[in-house]
Amino acid sequence: MNSRTVWLCCGVVRAEMEELLRRGLIDGELIFLDSMLHMDPPQLEAKLTETLKQNRAQPGFLVLVYGDCSAHMLDLVRSFHVGRVAVINCAQLLLGRDRYRRLMHEEAFLVLPEWARRWEHIMKSELGLTKEVAQGLMGENRGVLVYLDTGLSPVPELHLAAFSAYTGLPWRIEMVTLDCMLAALLEAQTGAKKCAENKD
Amino acid sequence: MIPKEWSERLLTAMINADRTGAAELIDKVLVSGIQPVQVIADILDPAIVQLGRLWEEETMSLAQNFVASKIAEDTLLRCIPVNSINPRTKGAVVIGNIEDDFHSLGRKTVGLFLSAAGWEVYDLGNDVPAEELLEKAIEVNACIIGASAMMQTTALNIRKLRQLIDDRGFAGRIKLAVGGAVFNWRPDLVAEVGGDGTAHNAVGADELFMRLQAEAQREVTP
Repeated sequence: MNSRTVWLCCGVVRAEMEELLRRGLIDGELIFLDSMLHMDPPQLEAKLTETLKQNRAQPGFLVLVYGDCSAHMLDLVRSFHVGRVAVINCAQLLLGRDRYRRLMHEEAFLVLPEWARRWEHIMKSELGLTKEVAQGLMGENRGVLVYLDTGLSPVPELHLAAFSAYTGLPWRIEMVTLDCMLAALLEAQTGAKKCAENKD
Repeated sequence: MIPKEWSERLLTAMINADRTGAAELIDKVLVSGIQPVQVIADILDPAIVQLGRLWEEETMSLAQNFVASKIAEDTLLRCIPVNSINPRTKGAVVIGNIEDDFHSLGRKTVGLFLSAAGWEVYDLGNDVPAEELLEKAIEVNACIIGASAMMQTTALNIRKLRQLIDDRGFAGRIKLAVGGAVFNWRPDLVAEVGGDGTAHNAVGADELFMRLQAEAQREVTP
C-alpha cells in the first residue's frame, strides 16, 4: 500500500503544520482550508466533503487535522475512512488534553497565533459584538486571555493589547512546543492507515 | 403588540447580539403587565425553539449561537430573579457537563429552568468525571443526573457514566438525562450514550425530569 499521507488541515494551524513538515517530523502533502469557514458551518462541511471526495481516489491515507468543529465531523471520518486527530479543537491539539483542561478550568480564553490577527474582524464584524456586550459576555465566562505562542511568528502584542482592552480581560503568553501536536498527528496517521486497510 | 411579535423581536435581538436591546424589550414587556410566566412561555420559549432550529440548520456558528443563548439566559433571569424562584419541592437533581466538555451555557440555562420549576439543583460545573456525578447523586439522594455535552466527541464520554450507574446497580433509581446541541442534531446519540431521555431545549427540561422521576419512582416501588 502506498504510504503517502495527505493532511487536510484547518488554516489556523498552517504555520505549525508547515514547520513540522519542514523539520521532517511529518511527511506527505498539506492541504489547508480557510479557518474562517468555522463561522459558516454548512460551508465548512461542504468544503471538507468536496476535498475528501477529490482525494478519495488518490493512493495513501488522509488525515483530518480538525477538532470536533462541525456536527458531522465524525461522520465524515467514518464515511471516507480517514483519520482524524483525537482532539476537540485546535487549542487542545497544541496543548494536549491535560494542559488544555487546566487552562479551561482557569477560565482562559485561548488565542491561537493565526486567530490573534483576526480578532477584530471576528468579534466585531462576524459576531457583531460591541465593546460593551463583548466585555459583559467575556467577563461572565472568562478570566484571562492566554496567547499560545508556538514561536513561529512574532507575538502580536498590539493585537493582544487591543483585544484585551476590548474584552476587559488581562492577557498573558504561554509558550507551546509542537510536541503534543506532533504526537496527535502521528497517532491519527496510524489510525488513518488502519482505516485505509479496513477499506481495502 | 401580541406575544408572537415580541418573540420575533426578541429573536432578532438574540441573533444580532443586541444584549441591551433584548433587555430593554423584556423590561418593556414586563412593565406592560404581561406576567413573567407568560413572557417565558409565549415570548422566550418560542424564540429559543426558533434559535434551536437555526442552530440545527447550521445557519449560525457556534460563537453566534453562544451569544444568542447568553441573551436568552439574560432574559430568563429578568423574568425569574434568582431570589424569587419557587420552593424546591420536586426533589434533588445533579447536573454537569461531562468530562472534557466546557460548554457551560446550556447547562446553566437548564439549571435555571429546573430551579424555577421547583427542583433542588446541584450543578457540578464543567468537565465533571462520571464518578463525581454519581457520587453526588447518591449523596443528595437525587433521582436524576443531567449530563450535558456540546459535541459528539465529548457526548460519547457519557457512556462511562451510563456504565457506572449500571455497574453499581442504580439504573432503576437514578435516571440519566442527556442534553446539548449535538443531541438535537443526532437524536440517535441519546441511545448510543445510554441516556434515558433528552429535551430539545431548556424549556423542556422540567417536563423531561418529571417524566424520568416518575419512571424512577415506578421502578423503585413497583
